[in-house]
Parts: sequence; structure tokens; C-alpha cells
Amino acid sequence: MSWTRAAQFLTVLAGSVAFAGFSGAQNVTNEILKHPPRDSWPGFHGDYSGRRHSALTEVTPENVANLTVAWAFQTQQNGSVKSTPILVDGILYFTMPDNVWAVDARSGHQIWHYTAPPNKAFHIGQRGVSILKDKLYYMSSDAHLLAMNAKDGKILWDVVVADSDKGQWATMSPLIVGNHVLVGASGDFDNLQGFLRSIDPDTGATQWTWLSTPPIGTPNSATGGDIWMTGTYDPDLNLVYFGTGNPTPTLNGKVRPGDNANTCSIVAINPDTGKLVWAFQPSPHDTHDWDAAEVPVLADATFKGAPRKLLMQASRNGYFFVLDRTNGKNLVTNNFGPVNWTTGIAPDGRPIPNPAKEPAPDGRLIAPDEGGLTNFRSPSFDPKTGLFIVSASPSYSLYFSKPADGAYGWAGADYSLWGKGVLEAIDYNTGKIRWSHELGTRAGSGVMTTDSGLTFTGDGEGNFLALDTATGVTLWHAGSGGQIGSTPMTYELDGHQVVLLSGGSVIYTWVLPSTSTSSMKPSK
Amino acid sequence: MIFDRKLKVLAACLPTFVLLLPHSEAQAPRPPEGPRPVVTVGSQGPTPVHTAYTKAQIDAGGTLFLQNCAFCHGKEAGGGESGPDLTRSKLVASDKDGEAISPVIRNGRAEKGMPKFNLPDGDVTSLVAFIHTQQDKAMSQTGNRKGVDEADLQTGDAAAGKRYFEGEGGCTKCHTSTSLKGVASRFSGLQLEMRMLYPRDAVKKVSVKTASGQTFNGPLVYQDEFTIGMKNDAGIYQSWPVRAITFQVDNPVEEHVTAMSKYTDDAIHNMFAYIQTLK
Repeated sequence: MSWTRAAQFLTVLAGSVAFAGFSGAQNVTNEILKHPPRDSWPGFHGDYSGRRHSALTEVTPENVANLTVAWAFQTQQNGSVKSTPILVDGILYFTMPDNVWAVDARSGHQIWHYTAPPNKAFHIGQRGVSILKDKLYYMSSDAHLLAMNAKDGKILWDVVVADSDKGQWATMSPLIVGNHVLVGASGDFDNLQGFLRSIDPDTGATQWTWLSTPPIGTPNSATGGDIWMTGTYDPDLNLVYFGTGNPTPTLNGKVRPGDNANTCSIVAINPDTGKLVWAFQPSPHDTHDWDAAEVPVLADATFKGAPRKLLMQASRNGYFFVLDRTNGKNLVTNNFGPVNWTTGIAPDGRPIPNPAKEPAPDGRLIAPDEGGLTNFRSPSFDPKTGLFIVSASPSYSLYFSKPADGAYGWAGADYSLWGKGVLEAIDYNTGKIRWSHELGTRAGSGVMTTDSGLTFTGDGEGNFLALDTATGVTLWHAGSGGQIGSTPMTYELDGHQVVLLSGGSVIYTWVLPSTSTSSMKPSK
Repeated sequence: MIFDRKLKVLAACLPTFVLLLPHSEAQAPRPPEGPRPVVTVGSQGPTPVHTAYTKAQIDAGGTLFLQNCAFCHGKEAGGGESGPDLTRSKLVASDKDGEAISPVIRNGRAEKGMPKFNLPDGDVTSLVAFIHTQQDKAMSQTGNRKGVDEADLQTGDAAAGKRYFEGEGGCTKCHTSTSLKGVASRFSGLQLEMRMLYPRDAVKKVSVKTASGQTFNGPLVYQDEFTIGMKNDAGIYQSWPVRAITFQVDNPVEEHVTAMSKYTDDAIHNMFAYIQTLK
């Protein structure tokens, strides 16, 4: 064999190894993003569906009580981890505002750590990096998109996505579809246009921008509709689904009459053209800051006897929605906790806001509160039981707005009076609750389910919980020592299932004792 | 050590300061039946007295505030997502040089959802400088002021509120006008209305019976699905695994949650007008 031939052979071999399980070579293809192997979690939701449901079954209702810590990683930062790590080639990548880490999934030791230059923007959270081929994509708090070399965290390029001096900031883990890096930003403390931008993964050039709302200053019209959460994607329909944020001014609805189209909405967009295909509005004319940014969860399931392509959202405004995701037509609308701001449900499935419940100078009692009946924490859909499981916060608050509050930005004030945490298991066919599990005070953890019938989440006191998905009964718990602000994830490593949870600023991985490396004898 | 101790003492005093300090000067808490001051924080009035800060401190504080605080408390500290308007804060008004504000930054207010911030002393001082500056600005502005003024809340009818209190509201199951006497002297405005709807610092009581038949009664300190913690008669914290005991929690304000699903906004405003008469 000549030298050239040997080299060719080795190249082919390396390529096939990379595709089989990408051991060593970082080449995250679109195919991997569409069908993540068991030993990976290559995007924010794991796969494109947003279901947070894993096919792994080594950890079961019978053995979950035996889980033991494999390792913990201390970020030594203020605040709590709000990102979902991605896992590629045995390396975990995760973030907190101004920080990105690459950590060995086997040992929990740091490979590299990137810290962003000082920047003046809200540092309220960072939901993670995304990957395509050998590049990581990170949204900085001041709304730049940075491409980094996955192997050492070196910055390859840095593009401004939104102007943080005008009041925009970013927390998003970009959604990568084809050769598009899809990003947005927050900014409802100012009157700004919400947007979704598609960026070229190689060059950082903008491919297209979709704007949620008309230009600033358009009379009688809202600004806002910010896109700040990672969307979901249906490869067959070639549509991406994103939830948009509240209209601005936020609490003053008088200056922006009507529905305020595309704010507090679920939008279906063609990722190649940036054109809106359909929109459904959970909160027409919102005046309570109830972004419809919660994960639009995709599932192919039977609905009233026929197979349907469904999209489900438990929305911040207190309602659970099931839509046909081919056209946005509503199939189910039902509240999953106390709501008092509507006069009913319209024939098209949209709640009808009660004008008497708009914020007023002397205050209005509103359920839920501004944090919402749920928020950005991920829900999970379990196909076996047909349960959509969401961490809910029944709550009441007072909303105020008066002429002196003006028509710019927040334009009012709201005060939460009371709230608590409950995990609600919703039957997707009806929107009715099948079981509820009290979580104490309002909880910040998202939800993950597995094929073995387990539901992982956390309570308001910082306990990690594993429940029986069918009944909601607790099977395992462990105190994390901090506020849980992220959503559980799981993956296979060296042939065994790992459950990853974060509490406070610490990341913990859990395994069954028989598979733990700490039970292995050191080699001689 | 001494500094730590001082902070702890201040932290312990804090709730008292917040609830009872009727005007801008930090001093020993006054008895609740004392006269109501003419000037309340939240309206324009003489600006509170505090240490002078440098422009550099105020600017640095502004950046830190934007990064860490503004999402909840608003960019101008006038209230944002879920956090109160600090320019109307009595705690801020009572603070001279961070002695009241710093412990809140460092310890958070878990019961209200505020996290603690582990920041260097210099950063905390800068934040204090910025917050004071924002309050001074808000209080010295002319014309109608943003945010909730006591005057905004005066839309109810006290007589109708009294009827609701004694009738449909069901409030007399637990309260009488006598038992609430003085409440409107101790609290006012938005703070009084929020307490009327849900007194969030009300103490829950728990009664625990162990497997061996011993019973313990006292204030509930901690509860999750797995553990019950209380203060026993000697004032010492004691806890049990939930599965090993039987227990009963008495939450005196549970009825307030139930009532929130029934109130109309008019009922709230009328009842507030009535509660304001209970001085």
C-alpha cells in the first residue's frame, strides 16, 4: 500500500468512526442534530422536538433510588446555572452569563474556560451554547453571537446581533438548522422590535431577519414580541417554531389597541427563507408580560382517533394549547391552574382578554402573576402515557398602570402576592390534569422524562426529584444545596446512563452504583 | 469578626426597620401606636439624608445594577419584573451608608424570591451609592410620579368594604375590627393593601407526633416533601423525616389564598378603604 493510499484509507476510516459515534473527531453534522445518538445531547432540547424525553432505560423506577453522584462541577459563580449542557464526543459544554466551560464528561474536570470581556447588559441567565461541525455558538449577555473553536474555546468571530446600548440583552442557546444559526434577544424594558435572525455558521453574515412587530413609532401599534428561547424544528415540514414575547409598552395596553399581532405568539417560520408560514396567539393584546416564549413541544400522536402532527405549549398566561403544527389550527385550549383575566375562549382557541383586568391606577388582582403559571423552564412530553408534564406556579398579583407611568418600556408596576409550585401532568387529548405533585414554593427546574417511566425535576427548596411518570409518586430525591434553575438531561457514556442535574451554580452527574467509576478498581 | 457580627445584628433588625420606621431617619423603632408622619416615602418630599458618594461610585454602581438588579428592580430602580420600586423603599430611605441595604444585597430575601449576591465590598458600596442616587432623583422630581402612590389606591367605599368584611368576604371568621385595630397606623398604602390580601410573614404552626407518641408544637421553620423543621419550646430548631412522624400544619393565612379566587377588584378597593380606617 502506497503512502497516499494509506492516508486515504485512514481518512475514510476516521470519517466513518466520526459518523458512527463521533469518537474523537468533532464533526457535528445536521444528521446528528436531527437524530442525536444515545451518547450525545447536541442541542438545548437534546433533539429538535423539545420533548425532553429520552429513550434511555438503564435507570428505571425500580433502581432510581440507588443513584449515586459520579462527580460535581463547581462553577464558583454567583447565581444559578440556567443552561442545559450539550454533550459531544464525551465533552460537556455549558454556560453561565459571561462564562463557557468545556468539561470532561467522564471525570468532571475542566478542559477549558472562556470568560467574556466586561459588558453592560442584564446578566439574568444564559441557556447554553450550540454546536455545528467543530464550532460552538454562544450568545453573550450584550447580544453578540460568538463562534468558538470547540477544541479550545478560541473566538473565531464575533457579530453584533442586537444593540445592547438600546436595551436589548441575550440569554438564548441558538437553534441550528441546516446552515442557519437562529438567534434572537430580549428587550421589553424599552420599546424595541422583536426579531429572529438567521446567521451563516461559517462567516457570521446575516442571512435573513424576521421582525415580530412594526417599526418603532408606528401609530397605535405595539413593539416587542422578542424571541429569547430556543425554538423547535420539524425537518419534514421544514418549519421552525418559536414563541414570541410580550408587546411593549408592557403594562400599558391603551396606546397599542387590538391584538398586537405576532406578540405573545407561537410562530412557524421557514428557516431557509425567513418567511412566516402561520402564527397562533396565546395572549392577544397582552398587558401582563406573559411571553409565549415557552417551549413549543412537537409530537406525532393520535388525536381524536387520527394521527396528527401536534405542537403543544403550556403558556405563561396559564393556558395549555394543542395545535396542528402543519397549519397552526387550535385543537385544545385549557387552563392548568388559576386564571382570572379572560372572558372566555374564542372559537379559534384563543383566550379573550377581559379589558377590566388590564393594569389600572388603583390595581387589579390577576392570576397568574407576572412570572406566569409557567415560564422558560422546559416541560416534557411522555409519549407512552400521553402526559405533558410542566412545573407550574399557581399565583396571584396586583397590576398597576397610570398615566404618569407613560408609554415607554414597562409603563406600570406589578407585585406578586402569593405563589406556590406544583408539577402538573396534563393529558394532551383534553388538556385536563391527570395528576398533580406539590413542589412547595415556586420551583425553577424544568422537566425530563425517560422511556423507562421516570420523570426528573426539582422542587422549590432545591431538591432533585425522580417521580413515577404514570402516577407522580416520588421515587428518589437528593438536596442540591441551591436554587435549581435548569432542566435535567441524560445521556449514555461508556455504555451506561448518566443523569445530569444542576443546583445553584453546581452541576451534578448521577449514575447507578454498579456503573460508577468510583466503584471500579484502579488499574495496575 | 466584629463587622460580621454587626451585619448579623443589622440583618436581624431589618424587618423591624422596614415595617416600623415611619420616616427617613434611622433611629430606634417607634412604638406602632405613634403618630403617622406627614411625609411618607413614595411622594415628593425632603430627600433622605445619607453619605455623599462620588460620581465614580455612582457610575460603577449603575453598571453593576444593570447587570445584577435591573431585570427585577428596573433600570432606574423604579420597579421591573417582580422586584419592588426601590425609589419608594423605606429601607433605602432609612439607610445612611449601606448599613441597611448591604445585608439585603448579601443575604437576599428568600421569602420574596430575591437571591443573595456575593459581591466584593466595593461593589456593594457602589450599588448603595446608585440606589440612593436613584431615590433622591425620584423624590425630587416634580409633577406626577411613576409607580404606586397611596393616593392612587383611594377608589373604594369604606362602608361597602365594612359590609363585605363582615358578610360575603367571610373575614370575621378570623378577624374583628378590634383585633385589627391599629393595623392602618402601622402600615399604609400599597404595603397595607398587600398585607390585607396576603400577610406573607404570618407564622405557620406545626404539631408533630412521633412514632413513640411524643408531641411537639411550635412555629414551622422548614417544610418540604421529606423534612419538617420547627422551633421547639426552648426555641431550638428541631426536625424530623416526614415518613417517621404524623404532623399537622396550621397555616392561619390559607383562607387569604382561597379568598383571592373570589374577590372582585371593587371588593378589594372597598375593603381597603375600610381597613384604612382601623387605626
